[in-house]
Amino acid sequence: MTIMYAVIVLGILFVLLMTWCFQRTRSHHAPEVGDTKTDIAFELPQLSHLNFSFLTRIGASIKTRTLGETPADQIRSGEAPRSIEPLSQRQRSIHARLAMFSPGIIRRTTARRDCDKAPVGMPDGSESTARQLQRDEHFRRALELLPFAVLTTNRHGQIVLANAATSKLFGYAQRELIGNRADVFVPVLQTHFDAALPAGIAAARPVQTAGSARDVFARRKDGTEFPAEITANPLSSEADSDTLMVIVDRTDQYELLRNRQELTHLTRVSTLGELAGSLAHELNQPLTAILSNAQAAQRFLAAQPVNLAEVREILHDLVEDNRRASEVLRKIRALVKKGELEAAALSLASVVRDVALLVHSDAIVRGIRMYLKIAPELPFVYGDRVQLEQVILNLLLNAFEAMESRTAPDRAVTIEATLAGAGMIRVAVRDRGLGLAPDKLDRVFKPFVTSKREGLGLGLSITRSIVERHGGRIWAENNEDQGAVFYFTLPTGAAAERTRSRQQA
Amino acid sequence: MNEPIPMVFVVDDDDRVRRALTRLINSAGYRVEGLASASEFLALRPFADCPACLILDVALPDLNGLDLQRELNAMGASLPIVFITGHGDIAMTVRAMKEGATDFLTKPVEEADLLRAIETALLKSSQALASRIEIGSIQRRLARLTPREREVLTLILEGRLNKQVASELGIAEKTIKVHRARVMEKMETHSLVDLARLTDRAGSPLSPGKPAVR
Repeated sequence: MTIMYAVIVLGILFVLLMTWCFQRTRSHHAPEVGDTKTDIAFELPQLSHLNFSFLTRIGASIKTRTLGETPADQIRSGEAPRSIEPLSQRQRSIHARLAMFSPGIIRRTTARRDCDKAPVGMPDGSESTARQLQRDEHFRRALELLPFAVLTTNRHGQIVLANAATSKLFGYAQRELIGNRADVFVPVLQTHFDAALPAGIAAARPVQTAGSARDVFARRKDGTEFPAEITANPLSSEADSDTLMVIVDRTDQYELLRNRQELTHLTRVSTLGELAGSLAHELNQPLTAILSNAQAAQRFLAAQPVNLAEVREILHDLVEDNRRASEVLRKIRALVKKGELEAAALSLASVVRDVALLVHSDAIVRGIRMYLKIAPELPFVYGDRVQLEQVILNLLLNAFEAMESRTAPDRAVTIEATLAGAGMIRVAVRDRGLGLAPDKLDRVFKPFVTSKREGLGLGLSITRSIVERHGGRIWAENNEDQGAVFYFTLPTGAAAERTRSRQQA
Repeated sequence: MNEPIPMVFVVDDDDRVRRALTRLINSAGYRVEGLASASEFLALRPFADCPACLILDVALPDLNGLDLQRELNAMGASLPIVFITGHGDIAMTVRAMKEGATDFLTKPVEEADLLRAIETALLKSSQALASRIEIGSIQRRLARLTPREREVLTLILEGRLNKQVASELGIAEKTIKVHRARVMEKMETHSLVDLARLTDRAGSPLSPGKPAVR
């Protein structure tokens, strides 16, 4: 949301600024500007959709300097200082020439002012250039006023403009930022620039940040890193145009995400804790088979004549049982694992079967019959296997508990997985318990709502957030005769891809 | 009478565990039959006239092992049961033992424990079988008695003299002597003590006849 607001505010500011400048330009210099487009339409949230172009030009190439080197160092080394002064000194130094408006028209100017000097290089009596400068100034000023970090880079990835918020965010003075490659501060940009440059194609593809926003880190002057979300867009369609970047500090969201993952993991572990007895049983079975098989083999070998066929079969079974034990362990470990979300194409049927195996003996101990009704050849879904297992595990265990008061013949849980309309798989976990009070059907998904004596009331709310993060929906209904059914849907293959890219936009 | 080979039944829903257990028991020289569920076992009605025992997993999908035990008891099947379980608790064990289980083992089962438990259970089974055969034979003998002979038998076992029996039943003492000889003959015994033992073994054998009159 923060990003949306930021982009909206940015957009509105641009529009206002442009409209204002445009009117001025038009009243004074309409002929020069030509048939400027007046309808300014744009779509949020992508900056690149803004239907205007403005171009940043600098008079000469900016030499890269090493971090920490000040303009004074450069003066000593014979180079001209190239920094842009903060807003308070805006009258003195302008390096970047920002030409705005007029789609397709690129303004080039060599005008430049240097610090504490009279304007140099400005064509005498050029009123239009003066106004141009004034407009640039307005643009710069608008950038300065924005409450978040905005900077522009040239096609070499060097910073041309950086506003006050950028300076505050990174802990560098503005003058320290100018001229440095942006990837010094945001390492991930390096590949962005490197990939773009050799081909000479439009230098600024939007940087992939959203969705995997937590993987993008920016580095402050003091060396600390923070998660950032970066939107980079070319200022025009020109191949060597400058790039406008908006950098948003995502620390809070990152923390939130971390906490949510932590909580999800905790509930998963506590769910597994409830299952401990039955999981031990799942391991115990292969161990039992292994021990008895091995001891039987010893007896067969001691007998005369040795029944080699039998011994061979036993060895085969020993291997199989060992694999089975490892498989149980692998499943437990996967659920306990604390990891980043991994979205992959996976078969929901196999997810359901894996979980059913884990709770198999729990069901038997509780006297519950479990039925799987999985439609054949369901398409793949995209998601995190562990989290989807957690969803099914939660729903199954809830169903088990719902039937505690039922007599044995009634204790049955059915899991169905079917194709539900275009691009959706629907999973239903049906119990034959007492059902839910009508006012509870929605409320059960809220945090801290529980009917269990020892429940925290987080299971279903986390289940819901997992399903929704996967682009699905979860709801509960009462069966007509008896018990409740929990449904959830997940987008399949292509539909899931669409959801994902939408989330990343 | 040649000794029949004892039979061991294994009821466990886990195919692989069942296979391993039957294999092990087979390697120890028993006849063994594995079954996947309580209902499969009940359908088999395995109450043959040979020593047998049941290795029973507590957690079964259809009927819990303890319930199967109760059902077998209700049916009067004297089949010694050795329970095996992955997660037994004290309450479960107590209940099983109260219902007559011979042993309660936890998985994974040690060969020695299992074979010892089977041995005990089969011993119990063959004893039960022997006594069942004996009781059957006594009951068959008792069934041959006429109602009058049963009355006489009852009164004799109460320690009455022939004279007292005669007056009790209102018949001649000479007739009582004839009845008494018949009873001894039909029960295939020569002493009063043995007759008492036989009728005692058979439980309350005299109920079909008229209640003894005092």
